[in-house]
Amino acid sequence: MDSRITAIARYTLIEAMRTRLPALVLVTLLALLASSFFMETIAVVESNRLQAGFYAASVRLASVFIAAIYVLVSLTREFNDKGLDVLLALDLPRSHYILGKLAGFLAIAALVAVAAALPLAWFSPLPAVALWAASLAVELAVVVALALFAIVTLNQLTPAASFVLAFYLLSRSLTAVRLMSAHPLTGADTLSHQLMRFMVETLALIVPALDAWTQTAWLVNEPAAWSAILPLLGFGALYVVLLAAATMFDFYRKNF
Amino acid sequence: MKSGGERAIETVPRPVLALLVIAFCLQVAWQAWQPRPTARAEALGAPASPAALRALSLGEPIALAQLLTLYLQAFDNQPGVSIPYRDLDYMRIAAWLGTLLELDPAAQYPLLMATQLYGQVPDEARQRLMCSFVHDQFWRDPDRRWRWLAHCAIMAKHRLRDARLALEYAEAITRGARRASNWARQMHIFILEDLGEIDAATVLLGGLLASGEVTEEKEVHFLTERLKALEAAGKSSPPTRK
Repeated sequence: MDSRITAIARYTLIEAMRTRLPALVLVTLLALLASSFFMETIAVVESNRLQAGFYAASVRLASVFIAAIYVLVSLTREFNDKGLDVLLALDLPRSHYILGKLAGFLAIAALVAVAAALPLAWFSPLPAVALWAASLAVELAVVVALALFAIVTLNQLTPAASFVLAFYLLSRSLTAVRLMSAHPLTGADTLSHQLMRFMVETLALIVPALDAWTQTAWLVNEPAAWSAILPLLGFGALYVVLLAAATMFDFYRKNF
Repeated sequence: MKSGGERAIETVPRPVLALLVIAFCLQVAWQAWQPRPTARAEALGAPASPAALRALSLGEPIALAQLLTLYLQAFDNQPGVSIPYRDLDYMRIAAWLGTLLELDPAAQYPLLMATQLYGQVPDEARQRLMCSFVHDQFWRDPDRRWRWLAHCAIMAKHRLRDARLALEYAEAITRGARRASNWARQMHIFILEDLGEIDAATVLLGGLLASGEVTEEKEVHFLTERLKALEAAGKSSPPTRK
């Protein structure tokens, strides 16, 4: 990797350390862990299962929220502090800046995923936890790449955060939307429904179905097979590349 | 970041453009290659309590009830594993419908589902269960829910061939739903007639006409003719098989 990309990635990681991201992650994990222990104590049966299920589902959402917000705020600060202007004045291709930032954020995503999965080792079998952690890492990678794309394209924090939130919610519900649109009770032949179904299916070509990723069922029921996870990992990597390319495309076209 | 417009696409390096196009094509191809989602025929879970759902709704119980209504409706309507209504746990369905009505008492949708969807299953026990559910719910808001009980009365008479049950529902409408349409409030008289209880039907019809509740001229004429026929012939139609 180009040393300039590595340097930007390294400083992105250092920035995360100095802005107390690890402390925030730790406090969040402890709070969710404490809540899961509370749930375990009030459960009458299947207390361990309930504890693992609650912790896994809530820490997944919390991790996505923290990772996305961190990327958005970090880039917004860079824009406002004019640090980006200084960097662009140097002999640094714009693509290197985006790739360096993305590499740093991907490393942060991986670290957050590992930290989130560690407590699960006490509740669930290790192979299941490893699968779950790998899936969460890829999910967070997609989220940070998406957040990077959103803030570079939309410039402002509020619209970028709204875009990321809407995209994530859609990704988590896309399969249900497709199922409902495929078999309506009435009006299946109407033009409006056909149009709506076409739009939903087109959307499904572009938006990843994140509801199939990082499933709590892998921890509390049967762990998924690695053969089932590998396509998710491959697809996640492809999606990160697509988002990185889209971000670079937008970034090259911006005037400063 | 200052935004001083956009630069031309030519400023984007060719490798970046190529990467974007290739990644996009691969992404679309990958997704298109994936099999369409299929639902799993899982058992319908029990609904949470109305109090818990109200707390979860964050002050929007009606919106939550509407979402849950669609969930329940879509549950048996899944591609590939469409579950016949007769395979559903009707006690659980009734619990769901009751919960939905607790969350949104003004809604008619759950009662429509009970009578027109789940009540249409070719299984007498399940039809009766749905009608019983509608009957129970009717008493909580008779003026707004009478038409669903009227549907059940007709269903009991013609499909279940249980005129006594039909009479029970029809009488409930007469007693409880003051704002129901006249045809629904008069239904019990004709069911009584079908049951062969001519005297009771005659008394009730005479009382209805004497009460002045029916004001439309043509309707009064029709009911008067009917009363005369009852009084003269003793019976105007053969009783329905019970």
